[in-house]
Amino acid sequence: MDKGLIALGAALAIALAAGAAAIGIGLASGKAFDATARQPEMSGKIQAMLLTAIVFIEATAIYALVVSLLLIFAF
Amino acid sequence: MIFSVIQYRIVLSFMTRFWAAFKDQLIEEAAVGDIGAAIRHAIEPNILFKWQIGSFELIFSDVIVVSWIVMVFIFVVAWLAGRRREKIPSHVGQLLSESLVNLLLNLCQNSGMTYDQAERVVPFVGTIGLFITFTNLSSLFKIPPPAKNPAFPIALALLTIIYVIATSIRLVGLRGFWASLVFPKAMLLPFRILDFIIKPMSLALRLFGNVFGAYILMEFIYIIIPVLIPGVVGLWFDLADGILQGAIFTYLTIMYIGEIVEGAHEAEHEHQIRQSAHI
Repeated sequence: MDKGLIALGAALAIALAAGAAAIGIGLASGKAFDATARQPEMSGKIQAMLLTAIVFIEATAIYALVVSLLLIFAF
Repeated sequence: MIFSVIQYRIVLSFMTRFWAAFKDQLIEEAAVGDIGAAIRHAIEPNILFKWQIGSFELIFSDVIVVSWIVMVFIFVVAWLAGRRREKIPSHVGQLLSESLVNLLLNLCQNSGMTYDQAERVVPFVGTIGLFITFTNLSSLFKIPPPAKNPAFPIALALLTIIYVIATSIRLVGLRGFWASLVFPKAMLLPFRILDFIIKPMSLALRLFGNVFGAYILMEFIYIIIPVLIPGVVGLWFDLADGILQGAIFTYLTIMYIGEIVEGAHEAEHEHQIRQSAHI
């Protein structure tokens, strides 16, 4: 198969997923800062929830990373 | 027990071959020209020894050696820390281990367990967290971290999900476990069952992807700029990311158990309310 196309596919996979995950993490943490500013006494709980949410959002980017690594090294 | 003794002896007898392979790899990497070939060489598992039994093939790679070294290290450190126990802790080992256990207990209680339940969950969860953290930290010494081999995170994730199911059944009983599966509506049952397949997949892929990506990136940096830069970048990719992955694995395991326990508790509460309404 064409090496260049595989490289392009791998780059596109991780780039799209990383962009989407970055937007997601940005939205989540922005909302969390907003909530902390409104209710500073809840900051501990908000931080824990933010961490959980970020872990799940980040997982999608990690799946894309695995897929692109597979594209590069398995083909 | 017997299996572990045999494995330990095999590991000991192949320690010398491990060091030889490790040294060869270092020398090869120092005199490398082709970056793609070097990275491809780096991601291949270092197979020390193959053992053919019928149609099966037992493979001893560096993963086994590194994880056994880490196990011995954790055992020795934990033994030293817990050797002299006092009511009022005076030395660092007891203080550190007590605060670590306390942290995990608090985390368990925050995710919906009672103190007694948390005390039964903490030993396994803490062990697996320490194990993952220290195996990831092995990349600090330029030893490839075991989690870059997909077999390692997959085995850990399967073990974890089996433990999650078994221990939540032990904590809330079979009836409580079933109630947590069907709690708000029975319609959710297939999704809850699907969850038990997706959870270990996401645990394994998260650990594997993070460690493997960091490992390849560090190899790449070691090849193109071997001076000064790896030390700075390695602070995140070797040190912080390894600890973070161990912490996240522990945190998610606790959360999965806490979810089931809390679901069972809420279902029980709902049931009681409905019973009292009937009377």
